[in-house]
Amino acid sequence: MTDHVPDLTGHAEALLPDGARTWWNQALARARDEGPEALPELFPALRRRIGTTGLSAGMFRETPYLVDLDAWRACDAAGHVLLEAAGSHDGPATDLFLRGDLEERTIVLKAMTLRPISPDTIALLGEVQRTNTVRHVEAGVLDANLAVRALEAGGPMTGFSQDDLHRLVLKLAFLDLPVARAYGVLDHATAELSQMLEDFAQEREAAGRPVWADTWRFLGRAAIATSRERLAAGLAHAQPEVRAAARDGVQAFGDTDLLKQLDA
Amino acid sequence: MRIFEPHAHMFSRVTDDYERMALCGVRAVLEPAFWLGQNRTSVGTFVDYFDTLLGWERFRAQQFGIHHFCTMALNPREANDDRVNADVLAVLPRYLEKDSVLGVGEIGLDDQTPKEEKFFAEQVQLAIRHDLPVLVHTPHRDKKKGFERCIDILKESGIPMERVLLDHGNEITIKLTRDLGCYSGFSIYPNTKMDPLRMSKIVVEYGVDRMIINSACDWGVSDPLMIPRTIVKLQQARVPDADIEQLVWKNPIAFFAQSGRLQENDLAWPASADLRETFEGNSVLRGQDPAALQP
Repeated sequence: MTDHVPDLTGHAEALLPDGARTWWNQALARARDEGPEALPELFPALRRRIGTTGLSAGMFRETPYLVDLDAWRACDAAGHVLLEAAGSHDGPATDLFLRGDLEERTIVLKAMTLRPISPDTIALLGEVQRTNTVRHVEAGVLDANLAVRALEAGGPMTGFSQDDLHRLVLKLAFLDLPVARAYGVLDHATAELSQMLEDFAQEREAAGRPVWADTWRFLGRAAIATSRERLAAGLAHAQPEVRAAARDGVQAFGDTDLLKQLDA
Repeated sequence: MRIFEPHAHMFSRVTDDYERMALCGVRAVLEPAFWLGQNRTSVGTFVDYFDTLLGWERFRAQQFGIHHFCTMALNPREANDDRVNADVLAVLPRYLEKDSVLGVGEIGLDDQTPKEEKFFAEQVQLAIRHDLPVLVHTPHRDKKKGFERCIDILKESGIPMERVLLDHGNEITIKLTRDLGCYSGFSIYPNTKMDPLRMSKIVVEYGVDRMIINSACDWGVSDPLMIPRTIVKLQQARVPDADIEQLVWKNPIAFFAQSGRLQENDLAWPASADLRETFEGNSVLRGQDPAALQP
């Protein structure tokens, strides 16, 4: 069964700027009448026509979606509505991303976080993995559970595997983005991922550079040979965010001596 | 003095050029889509070029505080090439809606062939449909006749003349364009076409109303600092600063503001790049601020 697509029309229309109503009604009508072929001319205009006012709509929780709409703008919601109005689940989103400017790409990626997993989703997660444009990584995989939905949709069938998730987490580490905003990802900790993060941490330490704080969370959840030593050191780390992550990791790790240090 | 450089093919220039332009007062640059020095054989190479003008070149310019805009079009030279002409026209509509696209151009005539005329006229209609001004390339050979033919095609199209910039003008063509209601453009080169001294004489004779100058810097012998060099000649000719500012700042902004996608306020401050970002996986900054941004 295909997941439903939430209707954000109310959110988009509540924030329409003065004078944008006519354009918006025409855009919606074009999307409905012409389908995906209308979108390449409509998406570039979304930011300047609809604007970037924040939705301030809180957390959207409706199975299978978990998305923080406070991270969305009016133009993002409008893009989501147009994609759905065009009535096609596959194809146009990837084209819109590849031929889009920075804003269009952001809008497309946001929209994917509230749409069913499809070949488009997998293609765009691949684009997110290859880009270092931080806001596109944020738009695609933060403030949402898209990565975990893609993983749970069937791995080999959809093309997003545990290996892909590992690479994505390393990407977050490289860009210093918090895993807490990629909802559900921490629940998919594996020993292989912990080892990848440990190796990355050792490279950083050898270079005298900071280590991604969320490393300690993963090493506590999926133990490897160095987990205990790193967690113990993390509890006394100079950076408060590392200490907090280490405490979180220790609770998941369950070592009695380390847990006593938490109580001390 | 702030400068809006309204015609520069930065795709062909090195990064040092951006820095030198910024240091000379260039606050914004407009890059018209054009020929790339050799013929292309498939539409995909146009699409990648268009995407570069929307993305990478903007990022490259912003590192030096320069706002980057562009115009999009099938250029007249390649309008003659059936391997690409119709396919490029088919992809243009989506690009003409992009935020940083302020017009349709370079369109116009080069060798003055029937195919060039066909695609020129079709692209003027695209401009009308997308509510954009047009930047018109005029021939470098048989120029006067080419100007006259361009003007005829534009008049037949119905586009308002104030939304037309007829570029690559000289002492002869200004006599054709000054009373048309269009903008008259002059591309200043080190050795050919138009130079700073000749340009200063044209300004002294005709004034600065609807006049625009540019460097048109490209793949050949050209110089992205031709507007600053021309400003020096204008000052030596005792053209008032207010007139020079109108020529190199206010006029190009007024022309491209007709797109509805540019306001002078947008250019009140230099552009800024988010230096925490690399661009599309490209780590060209390597954590460094470009020198022009350093205090």
